[in-house]
Amino acid sequence: MATDGSLSIPRTARPPRRLVTTSRSHDLLVAICFLVPAFAFLAVFVYLPTILALVLAFLNYQGGNTPTPWVGLSNLHQAITYSVFQQSLENTLYYAAMVVPGTLILSIAIAVLIQRASRIYAVIRTLVLLPYVTPTIGTAIGWLWIYDPSFGIANAVLHFLHLPMSTWMQSPSMAMPAVAIYSLWHGVGFDVIIILTAITGLPQGVLEAAMVDGASSWRRFWKITLPLISPTVFFITVITAIGSFQAFSQVYALSTGTGGPEYATTTTLFLIYQTAFQYGNFSYAAAMAVYLVLLIFILTMVLRWVGRRAVFYD
Amino acid sequence: MHLILKRFGVFRTVAAVVIGLLFLFPIYITLCTSLDTPAHVFTFPPHLTLDFNWSVWVKAWHLYNWLQFFFNTVTIALVTIAIALTTSILAAYALSFIRFRGQEVVFATILVVLMIPGETFLIPNFVIMANLHLVDTLTAQILPYGASAFGIFLLRQFFLSLPRDYMEAAKIDGCGHLRFLWSIAIPLCRPVLITLALYIFIGTWNSLIWPLMVAQNPSVQPIELALANFLTSNSSDWQGLSAASMFATLPIIVIFLFLQRYIIQGVSRGDGIRF
Repeated sequence: MATDGSLSIPRTARPPRRLVTTSRSHDLLVAICFLVPAFAFLAVFVYLPTILALVLAFLNYQGGNTPTPWVGLSNLHQAITYSVFQQSLENTLYYAAMVVPGTLILSIAIAVLIQRASRIYAVIRTLVLLPYVTPTIGTAIGWLWIYDPSFGIANAVLHFLHLPMSTWMQSPSMAMPAVAIYSLWHGVGFDVIIILTAITGLPQGVLEAAMVDGASSWRRFWKITLPLISPTVFFITVITAIGSFQAFSQVYALSTGTGGPEYATTTTLFLIYQTAFQYGNFSYAAAMAVYLVLLIFILTMVLRWVGRRAVFYD
Repeated sequence: MHLILKRFGVFRTVAAVVIGLLFLFPIYITLCTSLDTPAHVFTFPPHLTLDFNWSVWVKAWHLYNWLQFFFNTVTIALVTIAIALTTSILAAYALSFIRFRGQEVVFATILVVLMIPGETFLIPNFVIMANLHLVDTLTAQILPYGASAFGIFLLRQFFLSLPRDYMEAAKIDGCGHLRFLWSIAIPLCRPVLITLALYIFIGTWNSLIWPLMVAQNPSVQPIELALANFLTSNSSDWQGLSAASMFATLPIIVIFLFLQRYIIQGVSRGDGIRF
């Protein structure tokens, strides 16, 4: 007799065991249970904030328990007419215009250069990737010292080459390019690895056929390698572009928290941070954030359009 | 012809070595400055060899409670990794091994997270934290990262790439979901888990803007933030600053040198994302 009270039936008479031991509804229950933890976090810290971000822009929230009246579009109107905000948009676009092409050219060039699989090249690959993993503030301090007008190596090199020296981070014209140079040094390693992976994954047959046909390595690169890795190049373009709109740590560190001489390095994200946390005006900052997100969205759409035309998919 | 090719080979190696050294150089020069004797710091052109003047490091170490900052950063990183890995594995499992209606929609909802720029969440999350009275806590720096859409994506890709036979065989043998998850799915996806853990660790170590917003109290600040505050309050103590940045940077460099295989694997895995 089975202890659960059921009749004990001889084995041969039992109905055949189901092949699948879990039923559909059981599956659904398990799926829901497994998804709940992740969704709990996402709901509170991602989906809710997204809605809140928009709502905040239409209120007048100054932090704490102050009254928060509905002010409609006035924050958005004020933001777009604020000269510093407009300049921050220019700065952000200027920065992106320097970093994105720079990253593409440098990372492709370096990847092609260090493509060989030998010990030395493996070491060089490590060195190139090294800046990418280091915390931004730590290395930005080093670069602040490099950019020091009197004692930094940057001016020392310029002096050695008999070129005019610069006040770098203190100069309204050179400050943003200086930040861009830092970002290139910091970020290129990641893209080099991605491109290396793409290049080494290419089918060797096509390249060998071209070599047999007498194509020079320059030609092979432009007509074969580059088109074949164009999806990867496109991927890098998109993440670099979007990433450049979100650059904060290096701007904060290299301008020592100030945003640069005459707002030269005040990117939109930096201005948002300043407005919210140095001036306490959360709603105004939220309104600026709405514009920034819109800008990134437009950028993504433009890039997708370009991608459909320029990328070669096999 | 042969000679020209040979010379090109040498030229290429030289160029590659120069580039490698150029990338190393800024870190090296920070190290130099931190170890310089005081006389060598403010020279033009700058002094480029290591003096090994450790007294600067000792002084900078005692200036702030660096151990506390390290502890904070490591705690935040480890707890975030534990939570994020758990939620990601569970969610990825549900979205790959279990067939249910609306699976694609759910996955799309999670993917959308990756497309929204991070800035959108900053201020609202701060408001949420303020209302939960969690400002100035380690918890506030962990919770927003408790679920990783990227992690769910990576793990789901991996689970989908496994042969269906595993699941079929397990089902025939009467294996339930939990047991399959624990005994088969998790051990198989170990490389992806390590990559994800590293990714989260590096991201936590290097994060600035969120801790900057949410951690005013030094006792809960992570190391990047502490370094940033050091910078804004002592902007001319170059030796101290260089030493401090070495404190914050060297551990990550060491970790990187030992684990670079996984980092590179993870980076090259990112190549699989197509638009």
